[in-house]
Amino acid sequence: MKKIEAIIRPEKLEALRLALEEVGYPGIMVSEIKGHGKQRGVTHQWRGTEYKEYFLSKTKIEVIVPDSQVKKLTAAITEVCRTGTVGDGKVFVSSVDDAIRIRTGESGDVALS
Amino acid sequence: MKKILEKWRDPERRKYFYTYFAGKVIGLAALYVFYNIVKSHFGIDSVWADDSTMPMGAAAAAAAPAAAAATAAAAAVPAYVNPINTVWVLVTAFLVFFMQAGFMMLEGGFARSRETVNVMLEGIIDTCLCGVLFYAWGFAWMFGSGSGFIGNQYYFLHNIPDTYGSTGVPTLAIFLFQFAFADCTSTITSGAMVGRTGFVGDLLYSVVVSGLIYPLLGHWTWGPDGWLNNIHPAAFHDFAGSTVVHTIGGMIALAGAVVLGPRIGRKFKRDGGGPMPGHDMTIAALGTIILWFGWYGFNPGSTLSAMDTMGIARIATNTTLAAVCGGISAMFYVYPRSKVWDCGMTCNGLLAGLVAITCPCYWVSPFGAICIGLIAGVVVVWGVDLLEYLRIDDPVGAWPVHGLCGVWGTWSLGLFATGAYGAPTPTGADNSAGSVVTGLFYGGGLNQLKAQIIGNAAIGGGALILGFILMYAVKMTGTLRVSAKGEMEGLDIHEHGGAAYPELTTGS
Repeated sequence: MKKIEAIIRPEKLEALRLALEEVGYPGIMVSEIKGHGKQRGVTHQWRGTEYKEYFLSKTKIEVIVPDSQVKKLTAAITEVCRTGTVGDGKVFVSSVDDAIRIRTGESGDVALS
Repeated sequence: MKKILEKWRDPERRKYFYTYFAGKVIGLAALYVFYNIVKSHFGIDSVWADDSTMPMGAAAAAAAPAAAAATAAAAAVPAYVNPINTVWVLVTAFLVFFMQAGFMMLEGGFARSRETVNVMLEGIIDTCLCGVLFYAWGFAWMFGSGSGFIGNQYYFLHNIPDTYGSTGVPTLAIFLFQFAFADCTSTITSGAMVGRTGFVGDLLYSVVVSGLIYPLLGHWTWGPDGWLNNIHPAAFHDFAGSTVVHTIGGMIALAGAVVLGPRIGRKFKRDGGGPMPGHDMTIAALGTIILWFGWYGFNPGSTLSAMDTMGIARIATNTTLAAVCGGISAMFYVYPRSKVWDCGMTCNGLLAGLVAITCPCYWVSPFGAICIGLIAGVVVVWGVDLLEYLRIDDPVGAWPVHGLCGVWGTWSLGLFATGAYGAPTPTGADNSAGSVVTGLFYGGGLNQLKAQIIGNAAIGGGALILGFILMYAVKMTGTLRVSAKGEMEGLDIHEHGGAAYPELTTGS
């Protein structure tokens, strides 16, 4: 069981949802986050004068899937969210020990489907 | 005796003494003022005293003709009151009053969300204080007769005539109209001081701005005997207040911003930083348009006469043209260097056009208004750049818009006045040769321009000097600026105990 975390451009969220819908996925968590990478923020404009925005708005999605599905999901995410320019984001995959469905008490991969 | 002298040498003791003594003096002064209010209002020494010495019958006989006259007057509008002008002045007064909403929205939108409550309360309480002060002595100093420098009549609206001067408009309508103007000045000032001014400090400077500086300097040109009306060879002209309202407000704002210093964390362009963005462009743009709407009271209302039909139509048109051209020129002037279409700067450019046309609106042609607006839109951008270069933190651009474009607008009359228009009168326009105003570009020579520069320098310079004195005085009381902790926490939480958007913000 793996957790896929992806930091993506906020405007890519809807396109990603449609792509994941085709691949199939159990469920998704979305959060609005702020942060920066190697670029250390961007420059914006306010009343004719430039200022530096250090933390950019990004969207983080989290999907928890059985090991077998990780490959196709990460492939879909990287394909959809790539623009080829700086700031496309990153995907992290980590192990998850267990999952329990609260309603029934089922645990393991069954709880995900 | 020896003991007292010994105590006197102790600086701590001396400080106590000064504090107590100052308190007593202030108390006595307050008591004296209160006594005079009561005395003048209830006529303890004059009316009642005189009447009581008279036999009852004589008093009644003396009162009878006056009563008869009053009844006759009540039956119909007296001939000396002009109904349409009265309605005009009142309606435009309401429009000017509504500009307060525009100022609050504009400043609130350009402020960060953590100080929004503070901006709102400042706008509201400035209005409240200004109303009381303008009633008590502001109107007296500004519009009463006295010397060329200060008026000395109508304190507490006492002994006012039914109609003001030859206007045919009730004095109270004029009072309301002018109160709305005074209110604008004080709110303009607060714009440059957003985000770091303590609330007590804000109250103190508001009292002085709307209760002292504005009426004093305003009297110089708008008072019935102001000295700037009598300078030679051409009198200083300020139709609706580019100098009186906007330059005064803008210059005190500049003094405030300089004395306060920048907000914590504000870095300037040449130090590799930039402005702190405001939190709500929607609200700021709405405020801009509300201000524009209110300006249709500000400028056309200043004729004090709806019967000068050509005049009010020309003013309204000039006002519109200057505003649209200010917005256009600011937007296109900023685009090449920033490669974005900047809404905030366009709003400021639009307001700059409005501020600039405020003085010359009656005397210029629509084409003149277009030129004035186009130049104002560029001037305001220079003003913003200049403040950035001088490391002065003006969060809403109060000085570039009101101070600098107020100066430009006042001077522009000396350039663009067509020489075809004179002065509004209660029954129409007075365009006789003796009263027309002619600028440099229309063959009037430099006389009018000189008068404009003298008048603007006198009032604007006076405002700047008094503004610095005021701000340093408030700073000495220790209330001008909030603590660093309060500023980081946000003025809303620190001074007012709650955020403007408690559900959305987490103190950011």
